[in-house]
Amino acid sequence: MKKIKNIITVLSIALVFSCSKDILDKEPQSGFSAQGFYKTSSDAQAGVYGIYDAVQSTFSLNFSFWGEGRADAVNTNHSGDPLLLQQNTLNKTMNSARWNSLYETISRANYAIKYVPEVFEEGNEFGLQLVGQARALRALSYFYAVRIWGDVPLVLEPYESIDQELFIGKTAKEEVLEQIVADLKFAAQNCRESFGGERDRLLITRGGANGLLTQVYMWQKNYEAAIASAQSVLGNSLYSLVSINDWSKIFTTGFSNESIFEIGYDDTQTNNLRILYAIGSDSHYFPSEGFRASFEEGDLRQDLIYDVTEEEPRKIWKFFGQGFDDESADPSSQNIVMLRLADIMLLKAEAHNKLGQTAQALDLLNTIRSRAGLVEIDEAEAISTYSDVESAILHERSIELSFEGHRWFDLVRTQKAIEVMGPINGLSDEANLVWPLHEDALNRNPNLEQNGFY
Amino acid sequence: MNRFKKTEKPAIRILRTLVSKGFLLVAVFFCIILQAQVETVTGQITDAETGEPLLGVNILEKGTANGVASDFDGNYSIEVGSSDAVLVFSFLGYETTEVVVGSQTKIDLLLGLAANQLDEFVVVAYGKKKKRNLTGSVVSVGGEDIEQTNLQDPVSILQGRAAGVQVISNSGAPGGGMTIRVRGNSSLNSGNSPLYVVDGVPIESSSLSSLNGTENFGLNPLADINPNDIESIEILKDAASTAIYGSRAANGVVMITTKRGKEGKGVLNVNFTSGVSQITRKLSVLNASQYRQVIIDSYRNMDNPVEPNWTVIDSLNPKNNGDVDWQEELLRVAPQYKVDLAVQGGSENAKYSWSSSFLNQDGIILNSNYKRVTSRVNIDFNVSDKLTVGQSLSYTNGTNSRINAGGSGNLSVVRELLIRPPSYAMYLPDGSLNGYQFGKRNPVGLAEQATHLNKSNRIIGNQYAEYQFLEGLKLRSNLNLDYLSMKEDEFLPSTLDYREGYNSGAVRAINNLTWGNETYLSFDKTLNEKHNLGALLGMSFQEWKYERTGLDGMFFPSDNIRTLNAAGTISNQDVNITTEHSLLSYFGRLSYDYMGKYLLELNLRADGSSRFGEDKRFGYFPSASIGWRFSDEKFLQGQNVLADGKLRFSAGQTGNEAIGNYTSQGEFLVGTNYLGYSGASPSVMPNSGLTWETTTQFNAGIDLAFLNNRIVFNADAYLKETDDLLYNVPIPRTTGFSYITQNIGSIENKGLEFLLVTKNLVGDFKWDTNLNISLNRNKVTDLPDELLTNGYIQNGQYHILQEGLPIGTFYGWKFEGVYASDEDNVNGITNGALGSVFKGGDPIWNDLNGDNIIDEDDRQVIGDAQPDFFGGIANNFSYKNFSLNVFFQFSYGNDIYSEINHQRNSVVRYNNLSTDALNRWRQQGDVTDFPKPVRDDPMQSDSRIQSRWVEDGSYLKLKNVNLRYRFPNRLIEPFGLSNLDVFVTASNLITWTKYTGFDPDVNSYSGLRSGVDEGSYPQSRTIMTGLNFQF
Repeated sequence: MKKIKNIITVLSIALVFSCSKDILDKEPQSGFSAQGFYKTSSDAQAGVYGIYDAVQSTFSLNFSFWGEGRADAVNTNHSGDPLLLQQNTLNKTMNSARWNSLYETISRANYAIKYVPEVFEEGNEFGLQLVGQARALRALSYFYAVRIWGDVPLVLEPYESIDQELFIGKTAKEEVLEQIVADLKFAAQNCRESFGGERDRLLITRGGANGLLTQVYMWQKNYEAAIASAQSVLGNSLYSLVSINDWSKIFTTGFSNESIFEIGYDDTQTNNLRILYAIGSDSHYFPSEGFRASFEEGDLRQDLIYDVTEEEPRKIWKFFGQGFDDESADPSSQNIVMLRLADIMLLKAEAHNKLGQTAQALDLLNTIRSRAGLVEIDEAEAISTYSDVESAILHERSIELSFEGHRWFDLVRTQKAIEVMGPINGLSDEANLVWPLHEDALNRNPNLEQNGFY
Repeated sequence: MNRFKKTEKPAIRILRTLVSKGFLLVAVFFCIILQAQVETVTGQITDAETGEPLLGVNILEKGTANGVASDFDGNYSIEVGSSDAVLVFSFLGYETTEVVVGSQTKIDLLLGLAANQLDEFVVVAYGKKKKRNLTGSVVSVGGEDIEQTNLQDPVSILQGRAAGVQVISNSGAPGGGMTIRVRGNSSLNSGNSPLYVVDGVPIESSSLSSLNGTENFGLNPLADINPNDIESIEILKDAASTAIYGSRAANGVVMITTKRGKEGKGVLNVNFTSGVSQITRKLSVLNASQYRQVIIDSYRNMDNPVEPNWTVIDSLNPKNNGDVDWQEELLRVAPQYKVDLAVQGGSENAKYSWSSSFLNQDGIILNSNYKRVTSRVNIDFNVSDKLTVGQSLSYTNGTNSRINAGGSGNLSVVRELLIRPPSYAMYLPDGSLNGYQFGKRNPVGLAEQATHLNKSNRIIGNQYAEYQFLEGLKLRSNLNLDYLSMKEDEFLPSTLDYREGYNSGAVRAINNLTWGNETYLSFDKTLNEKHNLGALLGMSFQEWKYERTGLDGMFFPSDNIRTLNAAGTISNQDVNITTEHSLLSYFGRLSYDYMGKYLLELNLRADGSSRFGEDKRFGYFPSASIGWRFSDEKFLQGQNVLADGKLRFSAGQTGNEAIGNYTSQGEFLVGTNYLGYSGASPSVMPNSGLTWETTTQFNAGIDLAFLNNRIVFNADAYLKETDDLLYNVPIPRTTGFSYITQNIGSIENKGLEFLLVTKNLVGDFKWDTNLNISLNRNKVTDLPDELLTNGYIQNGQYHILQEGLPIGTFYGWKFEGVYASDEDNVNGITNGALGSVFKGGDPIWNDLNGDNIIDEDDRQVIGDAQPDFFGGIANNFSYKNFSLNVFFQFSYGNDIYSEINHQRNSVVRYNNLSTDALNRWRQQGDVTDFPKPVRDDPMQSDSRIQSRWVEDGSYLKLKNVNLRYRFPNRLIEPFGLSNLDVFVTASNLITWTKYTGFDPDVNSYSGLRSGVDEGSYPQSRTIMTGLNFQF
C-alpha cells in the first residue's frame, strides 16, 4: 500500500514539473508564420506565383466592368454594376468600386519585393527576375487604381505589424504613375526575356513590362517614351500578328503569338467571361447598336465578335468562338488577354500621330486594317471617314480590341469620354470620370475622402 | 389522560397546603394554567409522493424524551406538554420535519423523501456537490427528462428545459447542427459555444464537416453521444461555477455525466422505439402558368420593355413544360427506429455499465439518412480500500447521407424546394431526368444521384485512478481523450450537368485528437460537526491536433466510379493540413461552510495557451461566492411553510481563447496557386499582443422551497461584462488584409432566470409542473472609435454592430408598402441622388432623413434577433400506471430575417414565387403590399436588405408529448421481467407562430449573424412508439 502511495506521489510531482512552458510553443505545420515564409528560392518563386493568383481573381469580372462597363460598345439589361455603369449612376456600394483585390495583389507583391532579395545573394539573376515580376504586377494594379479612382493610397511596404500606419491617405495620381513607371522600368530591365512555351504569355517578361510601359506612357501623354517602349515590343521576336483565320484563337485557346500577357485560367481557377458575355439569352453584356453600326463594310472580324444574323444579338461570342451557344451561367476557363501586339501597335500609331508622324501612324493602322480584310486608308480618307487620324485609330481600337477592357480607358485617355457617352447616359462632368470610393473603404479608413464628384 | 390525572392531584394538594402564602399561590396558579393546556395531538402521516400511509414514523416532542411511532395506517397520537411544543417527525429516508403544535390537536403530515432535489448531488467542475450547498448558478437536466423525449442528441434536449440556456436549430436534418448560448452572446468572434465536458473529458464541439462549405449547415458533434446513456446534464452558468475552467469558460460549461454501474443485481434494459417524421407544414407556391405570367409581367414592367426571355417561359419547350410541385417531389414521410441495450450492475468492488444502441433515421427530404451505432463501457474497481480505478469509454460510428441543404449556390436542395420554377420539367421526352436547366441542377436528381456522405468514428475515453491517503484526502488523476476520424465524399454526376462527361467529386478526411491529463488533490474535513472544509489543488494539460487531407477531382470516366482515383483531373489539393494547440493549467478551490448555513467558495485557475502572443500567455481567472441559508436561522424555526431558503452571491472572471491556432503569429497560406504553379501568400496579419477575452460576471440568486418542497422556486440575476473582445477588426484593405484580430471592445449581457417546480397534486393522481423563463439583454457596450466611421460596424450582409444595440441587430431599408399609383409619390422621391423617381408599384421606402432621396443614409435598424424571453413548461401527470408528459417551449420577441422569403419573391433570379405574388401590383391604382415585379430591378426593390423580410419569430411550440404505460408487476413477473413500459412520444406537434417560413426555430448561421433563415433543412414533426423491457 505504501509503495503505491509513493509511486503516485512521485508520479504526480514528476508530472507537475515535467510540463515546462515549451509545450505552449506551437509552430504552424502546414503553413508558415508571417515572418517565417521566405527562406529558399522555391519559397520566393511560390510567393511570386501567389501574386498572379491574386491577379487572377482581380480581373475575372472586373476587367470588363472597369474597361467596358462605362463605354459605348456594350449594352445591358442587368441590374447591379452593369446597369449602374451603363447609366452612369455609379454609387459607393457597387462592386466595381471596391479596390480590395487590387490591394491584395499589391500586398503580396510588397511581401515579395521586400523578402525575395533576402533569399538570394545580391545581384542573383533569378532573384531579380522574381522581383521584376512582382514590381510589374504591383505596377499593373496601381495603373488600374489610378485610372479608376484617380488619387489612391500608395503602399510600397508589406504590413507585418499592428504598429505600422494602417490608415493612410491618398497620394496624387501623378506620383503614383511615377512609381508605376519606376516599377515597370525595373521589370523591363530585370525580368526574363523569355521562358519558352506558355509561360511567355502567362508570366511577365521584359516584353510584357515594355507593353505595360507603353500603356502607362500613353496615359501620361509621354509619346516619345511610349514609342520607344512600343518599339522594343514590336522588335521582340516572341510577338507577331496572327492571321485573321487564327484571330479567334487569340481568345478561345490562348497563347497566340500575338499575346504579350494573358491571365491564365483553367477548369478550377475560373473567370466570369461566360457570365459577362456569352450566356445565350441573358449575359451581362451584348453589343450596343452603335457598336454594331460602326463596322466598316467587309470587316472580317464582325461575325467573329457576335452573331450578325440575330436582329438583337444578346451575346458576344468573340471569346468563345463563332457559333457559341449555351445557357449556362457557369464560370469559364478561357484566358483573359490583357496585353497583345495589336494593342501596342495601335498605341504606337496614336503616339506617332500625336507627334505629327502621320505616315508611321497610318502604316501601323493599315497593318491592323489589312488583316481584318479592310482597305488601307490614307490621311485624307481617315479625315473624311473619321474626321481625323486619331479618331480613325481610336475607331480601329474599338473594333479590334472590342470588349477586351480597353474602350473606356481609351475614351478617357483621348478626352472623348464626355463627347461619346454624354448623349448615351448624360456623362458631363470631368470629375465623374473616376469611380467613387467604395463605402467599405471609407468606413475602414477615416483618412480617406470620397472622390469629389460623389 | 392518566398522566394528566396523576399530575392534577399533587397540584391541588400543594395548593391546599400553601393556600396562605400568597406569593407562591400566584406562581403555582401560572403553573396550573400551563398544565391545563397539556393535550393530545393526533394525526396521520402519509408519503408526500405516493399518498401511502407511513408505518413507524418517529414522532418526538422536541427537547424531551416523549415520543411515539405511527401505526400501520400511519396514525399516531401523542400528548404534548404545552402549546409551545415542537413535534419532530423523522423517518429513515425521509425529510425530517418539525411542526409547532400551537392550538392544533390534529396534525396530518405529508412526509417528503429525504432524497428530494435539495439533497441531490449535482456534478460540478472536478467533483460533485450537494445541490443544497451550491453557491453558484447551476442548472441540471436529469435522465427522466431525457427519457421522455425522442431526441437523438444531448443538445436538443436542453431546448426549453434549462433556464438561461438558449438552443436554436441550425438545421432540421438528422444529426444537424445546433446553436447553444448560455446567458447570451459574450463574444464577437463567434466563439460563443459553451465548453462541453463528458465524464471529465473536454470534447471537441465545433462542427468539423469540411465539405458543404460553411459551418452554417454543419453537423452536430454532440450527436455522437447517445442520450440514453446520459445520467444528467449540468450547465454551469456563473463565474463561481465555471472559473475553474478558466480560459474556456466564458460561455458556460455543459457537464454531461453518463450512467455508471451500481452495486446490486445486474439489470438488463432493452428499449425499442420506431416512428415516422414529416414536415410540419408546406408553403404555398405558384403553379406553372401563374409563374409564367409573373415573369412576363416582370419584363413588361421594365422602363424599356424588352421581349421576355422565352427560354424561361416557353411552355412548348420540353424542358420547360412541366408543372411540378417540388415540395411534393422532394419531401416524404420518413421512418426511423432505434434500439438500445444496456446492462448495469456490480459488486462491492466492481461496478459496470455497458450499453449499445443503433439508430436509423431517415430525413424528410428524399434520400437523407443518418445511421449511428454507439457503444459504451463504464467500469469502476475498488483495488483496495484506498485505491479506485475506472474507465469510461465510448465509441460511435456515424454514417450521414446528407443532401446539400444550405447555401446560396445552385446546389441547395432545400432552397430549390421552394424557388425552383414549377415549369421546369422533371423528365425529358425520352424519359431521362432533366438534370440541368438554366444553370440549376435538378434537386430530385441531386438528392437521388449525387453523393454527399459523411462517415465518422469517434472514441471518447477517460481512465482514472483515485487514491485516498487519509479520510477526506484524495488524489485523482485521469487521462482523457477524444478522437474523431471523419471522411466525407461528394460526387456530382454528369447527368446533372449540361456538359458531356462533366462530373466532379471531392473527398476530405480529418483526424482530430485531443488528449489531456488532469491531476488533482482534494481534501474534505468536518471539524466539530460544524465546520465543513474543502480544498482542491490540481493541474491539467490538454493538447489538440487536427489533421485534414483532401482532394477535388473532375472528369471521371463514369458516374459509377466515384472514388478520386478515377478522376481525370485533380482540380484542387487540400493536402495534409495539420494544426495544433495546447493548454497548460493550474487550478485550486477552497470551500467552507458552517453547518450548511454560511457558505463560502473560492476558485482560481491559471491558464496558458499556445494561441496567444508569447508575452501574454498566462491568464488568471479567480472567482468567489457566498451563500446564506436563512431558513436555518432561529427566526425561521418552528414554521412549516418555508422548508428551505438560501441566498447566493458570486463574482468572478472567466476567459475565451477561441481564435485561430496561429493567428497571433500571422500566417502565410500555401495553395494560392497560379494554374499548375504552386503559390503562397500572406493570409493573416500577425499580432503578437493577442490575448484571451475576459468575462467578469456577477450573480445573485435565491433558492426557496415551500410546503415540504412541494413548491421549489429558484431565481438568478446576473451581469456579465466581457472585455478585450477578440474581434477581426476591419482594417483598410490597402493593407492587403481584410482584418486583424485584436482585443477590442466590450459586450454586456444581463438577465434574469426563473425556475418554478411545483407538485400540484399528490396521491393517486399526480401532477407536477416545471416552468422556466429566461430573459437576457445583450448590448455591445464599447467598440473602438476607428471602426465606427458610420457609427456602426457592418456585420455580414444583414446585421450591424453598434454601441448600445444587441448583437443580432438587423439593418436595412424600411419597407412601408407600395405606391398605388405614380401620383402617390407626391414628393417625387428618387432612387439615389441621380436615380429615377419611384412610380406606382414600386416599394415605399422610409425616407429617414427626409431628403426625398432613398440611399444608404436611409438605412436603419429593422429588427433584432434576440428574444425578449424564452423558456419551457413541462407538465407531468400520472395516474396509477399511466404517465403523461406534456412539454411546451417558447421564445418571444425575436425577429427573423427571412432570406428564404426574399428568394421566394425574387423575379430577378427567375425564382418561383409564393402565392403572395398573386396579390401583386399590376396597374395604376392597385392597393397592395406586394410590389410590381421588374425584370432588371432598376429601383433595387429586390436587392435591398429590407424590413419586408423581417418577421416576428415568436413562437409557442408543443415540443414534446410522452404517454407511457407501465405494466403492473404481477402481470410481468411470470415472464421474468422486472419492468415493462409501452409509450408513445410525439415531438414538434404544434407550433403557434406568425412566422411564414417552414419553422421559426431556425438559424442558418451559427455565429454572430443570428436569426437569419436562408432556407435551412426544415424541422419535422415526429411520432414514435416504443417498448422498454427490464430483466
